Amino acid sequence: MISAITKLPSVRLRINETDLCGWIGQAAPGDVLEYYRGFLAMDTFSHGTRLPERDRAELTRLARRAWWAGEQKLIHLVQRRHGPDDYSYLAIARLKPRSCPASLSSLLLAEVA
Amino acid sequence: MSISRSHLQIIQHEADIAARRLIRQLRLPYDDLGDLRQEFLLDLFARLPAFDPERGSIGAFAGIVMANRATRIAHKVKRDRRLYGAVPASLDATLPDSDGATRGDLVAEEDGLAAYLGQRVDAFAEVEHRLDVERGLGTLDPNDGALCAALSRTTIDRLAGGGRGARSSLYRRVKDIRLALLAVGLRAA
Repeated sequence: MISAITKLPSVRLRINETDLCGWIGQAAPGDVLEYYRGFLAMDTFSHGTRLPERDRAELTRLARRAWWAGEQKLIHLVQRRHGPDDYSYLAIARLKPRSCPASLSSLLLAEVA
Repeated sequence: MSISRSHLQIIQHEADIAARRLIRQLRLPYDDLGDLRQEFLLDLFARLPAFDPERGSIGAFAGIVMANRATRIAHKVKRDRRLYGAVPASLDATLPDSDGATRGDLVAEEDGLAAYLGQRVDAFAEVEHRLDVERGLGTLDPNDGALCAALSRTTIDRLAGGGRGARSSLYRRVKDIRLALLAVGLRAA
């Protein structure tokens, strides 16, 4: 007989994709943002989520954007475990890449041509 | 729509009254009377097709249209006065005891109208902004970069009309591009 089932803590979405992008844009290297607390893998999954559908869709966008920013070397992605199915998902700002692979003039010229 | 001579006289009379009233209320120079009168008449002629004789006289119609126009003109005048002061001063006006220096010589470029309206006047800031834009464009997919370049010359509607994709899909891409640029520190202008 199952006598003790761990009750999942309630979660809520604190920031959205736009907030995250705004924070990344102005953050100094080393700044930390907890962009979500919960269990991302489960909370973005449509059948296992503890969030309303609207928030779940926003959380999916938020998580994708965080992953994209990590790939672009804008942030480090870190998670901290608090307990069962309870993690803090942290973004740590990095130095902005100095490389400049795109030339505005060449893009505009290519468009005219 | 044709207009009878008697109606024209009524309209001109209403425009005259409205222009004089506005000049008196806003304490505008009397030289503006002709311009205001013309503005009232132009606005009224544009709206004349909406005149329905069964709902009222031409004088009443003209009065309402001109009262509305007068309110908009008054707002514009008050806004201009808040921006530029009650008495306009020329930047070319020579300052007294200044050996030929003009009022414009005293205004730094950072305090000028261009800067007030958001234009960059600092050459270093302009170069840095351009580098930021190029760095931001570098984070985008090449197709999105090309879309940005295209949008500097045309609109989404025209791009959609020209076969560059559906409007909704272009708007989705623009939203995504804006967020990507925001993440690298570029805000929308």
